[in-house]
Amino acid sequence: MTDPLGLISRIAPAPAAATAALRAGPADGPGFKAFLQEQIDKVNQLQTDAQTAAEDLMTGQRNDFESVIVATQKADLAFKALMQVRNKMMDAYEEVKQMRV
Amino acid sequence: MFGSLDIATSGMIANRVRMDAISANIAGKDVILNDRGEYEPFRRRMVTLTAGDPSQGSPLGVHVASIELDHGDPLLKYEPGSPYADASGYVGYPNINPVVEQMNAMEAARSYEANIMAAEATKSMISVALQLLA
Repeated sequence: MTDPLGLISRIAPAPAAATAALRAGPADGPGFKAFLQEQIDKVNQLQTDAQTAAEDLMTGQRNDFESVIVATQKADLAFKALMQVRNKMMDAYEEVKQMRV
Repeated sequence: MFGSLDIATSGMIANRVRMDAISANIAGKDVILNDRGEYEPFRRRMVTLTAGDPSQGSPLGVHVASIELDHGDPLLKYEPGSPYADASGYVGYPNINPVVEQMNAMEAARSYEANIMAAEATKSMISVALQLLA
């Protein structure tokens, strides 16, 4: 298969053994909290990158404003995604709170 | 996740550099002296682009490989009174056709817009996907 962009290998389906392991859940893998924390850190990193890029553009240390704009858009999209996850979690929490015991 | 945004950005940057070169060509159409004031007709700038290859370490998208000088002959104009005229009274001017440069400028501008549209489309794809979660 020709793959000039190098994208196909990255999204190729995982082997059967890997998917089975994923379904069963790793015994000592990172928990949900650690995973969430990692993703929040990534979003924070994108925000910091965008801020640094904007500051560099304003102070004349770089002139590729397209990259700066796209970095801002990336930070925006990542934060929107994080907000959706947060909303979903809050919904679940409310749901559990309403539950009669 | 943001691969196509980065590719579109690289296309925008490449086309901006192309536009810079075209502007330099249009501005330097009648320049016959170099920056030290010596006779040396301005040479047309040509931007060559190359595709990025992640397996070779360069990021996806398109990059400016080099900015080449046009080594063609200068355009000779008969100006016997000029201090820069040669023995037969001709002065060499840059061989730049403003019409060609205008067409190249239009092409660069349209390519830039096309890359912006690709970035916009990617952005709206991600935004719409987020609505699945909401």
